[in-house]
Amino acid sequence: MHAEIISLLTILVFPGIIFLFILAFFYEWVDRKFFAKLQNRYGPLHTGAHGILQPLADFLKLLSKEDITPFASDKLVFALAPIFYLALPLTTLSVVPILSQTSLIAFEGDLIFVLFTFTLIIMTVFLAGWSSTSRFSTIGSIRATLQMLGYEIPMGLVTIGPAIAAKSLSISKIVEWQSLHFWIVFLQPLGFAIFTICLLAELQLVPFDIPEAETEIVAGWRTEFSGRKLAVLRLGKNLELVLASALITSLYLGGPQQLWLIPPIITFLAKTTFAVMLLSLLRAVFARFRIDQMLTGTWKYLLPLATLQVILIQLGFGR
Amino acid sequence: MSHGSIIKIPFGPQHPALKEPVNFLFEVDGETVVNVKPRIGYNHRGIEKAFELRTYTRNIYLAERICGICSDAHTTCYTQAIEELLGVEAPPRARYIRVLIAELERIQSHALWLGLVAHEIGFDTLFMYVWRDRETILDIFEMISGNRIHYAMNTIGGVRRDIHATIMPKIKKGLDLMEKRVKYYLDVVQTEQTILKRATGVGILKPKDAVDLCAVGPILRASSIKNDVRADDPYAAYNEIPFNVITSDGCDILSRIIVRLKEMLEGIEIARHALDSMPEGVIRVRVPMKVPQGEVVSRVEAPRGELIHYAKSNGTTKPERYKVRSPTLGNIPALCKMLLGGYVADIPIVLAGIDPCFACMDRMAFIDTKKNRKWILTMPQLRRKYKRKCMQK
Repeated sequence: MHAEIISLLTILVFPGIIFLFILAFFYEWVDRKFFAKLQNRYGPLHTGAHGILQPLADFLKLLSKEDITPFASDKLVFALAPIFYLALPLTTLSVVPILSQTSLIAFEGDLIFVLFTFTLIIMTVFLAGWSSTSRFSTIGSIRATLQMLGYEIPMGLVTIGPAIAAKSLSISKIVEWQSLHFWIVFLQPLGFAIFTICLLAELQLVPFDIPEAETEIVAGWRTEFSGRKLAVLRLGKNLELVLASALITSLYLGGPQQLWLIPPIITFLAKTTFAVMLLSLLRAVFARFRIDQMLTGTWKYLLPLATLQVILIQLGFGR
Repeated sequence: MSHGSIIKIPFGPQHPALKEPVNFLFEVDGETVVNVKPRIGYNHRGIEKAFELRTYTRNIYLAERICGICSDAHTTCYTQAIEELLGVEAPPRARYIRVLIAELERIQSHALWLGLVAHEIGFDTLFMYVWRDRETILDIFEMISGNRIHYAMNTIGGVRRDIHATIMPKIKKGLDLMEKRVKYYLDVVQTEQTILKRATGVGILKPKDAVDLCAVGPILRASSIKNDVRADDPYAAYNEIPFNVITSDGCDILSRIIVRLKEMLEGIEIARHALDSMPEGVIRVRVPMKVPQGEVVSRVEAPRGELIHYAKSNGTTKPERYKVRSPTLGNIPALCKMLLGGYVADIPIVLAGIDPCFACMDRMAFIDTKKNRKWILTMPQLRRKYKRKCMQK
């Protein structure tokens, strides 16, 4: 009985759902604050110390707002899409090691599972946009799917890199291997760069925020969502950011490691914060690509480079 | 998408890419624009009728409020027209001050535009930086006139405020800072790959088309046509100050950016020259209330291009007819040409590329096409009308 309560608490509170929600709000704040600093602005300032509670305040405000469902929308899919969008990154985070070198759920092949859920997230985005039947949403969801065709294959290819090095398809095993050898970012810097670029596209950040390009198609696939649904979508997006930074940490930066007296959770937080700041930095220094430029770019440059990385690993460099 | 399936996409009057009310109907085949139908007139304010109802002195304030960004260009154009009708000329010092204010306005207007263009292509960092630096010029305006946007410098027969010798060094300091920043942005837009990708070869307007469709201002100059009212028909003190008319031969968005940035640098030089060689003397001459009979056309190179004011006087204290042609109207046909054959994703940047200011462009009266009746409502009438409607609900 006692053990069951402990495991229930692990899933629900720490390092489960509640902890991840707090982390999601915290990283949104880190992202907004750092992004604002790069642009010579202040960013959130008034809610809590240095505006740290602003993401939570935004979330609560949206919860209380009117929830509008467009008359012509596919109501069931429209209502379910935000829930899926929140649940998918949350579920996937359970296979990423956070507290120690072993994740909550670890099995051989969970790396494939992560890639699979990344695709499912985009499919949810497509359904969300398509079901709202607005012009902007439809264009946005089509662009999201097109964009996926560009970055998904290079991303799949480079994530093989750490797996080959650690001789395992389990993220926990990859983390364990790195604690015994080197961080993979030093062995496969090219793979790290490609993976980060692909994550920018996955998270729909500048220069790949094409599906939600504000000045072209309003809010893209999210245009018609309001109130609670928008709040859930935003939380889902933040969780996706947590997932992305946790994956960068686990696959390339050594994951949660015990460093002398510092517990693994602290190193995990430090590394993921670094990853979030890296993503913010990248989104601050570019302009947005056009969808055709993005697709040509990924197929012309990212894919050959990803293949090159795999070939290099096979030849014995970076393992 | 299959060939021949044409989708009609409305764009505006409410759209995040357009901060002002105008409507475009795009006919789109796949991702390519095949037809554009502009529809203007969403923000008619009855300015021309208002001109006819007010005295010449009160009209200065009205002219100031035609546009928020190029307020000085409109008053310069207005006062110039009335001065010509009166047969007076502004004193030399006033003409130099007019040049200084006009160039400072051009710099802040172009800076505002560059920020907006950066925002249209999703480069928000550049947007924030440019608008931060634009504050330098706005601070100078505040120092000179007490206002950031509506400086109210011009009056019939001269200017209302003098530039004191004590603030001249401060203006020069601001100009030095701005020059450094503009040079940096000129470097950024010509080297940053994502900007080049979005701006090169987009929104092409060939020189012949630019002339045929009567494009004005930086659009025309970016299509390598050397045309500038300041040089062609000098007003204020422009005939005494040496400057270059900037052109570029790219005919695309990138050359429009470069032309405007170089014009900012040129504007800084002109402002410096005006400060250094400003003659001493009075800043205004007194003029009578009544304006002699006659009509006049006045031209000014506003930041957005050639601005034309027409005034007709019947010898009273109020104009009989007044007409304003703002540069945006002149650029609409050219804009439609630029958009044809382009991508849907390029619409916002091409649109922003002409530096549109639709609110200062709209002129018309209420027309009932069914009853063939034309009328004009005053503000109290409008208020009464809509109050009743609200109460019925």
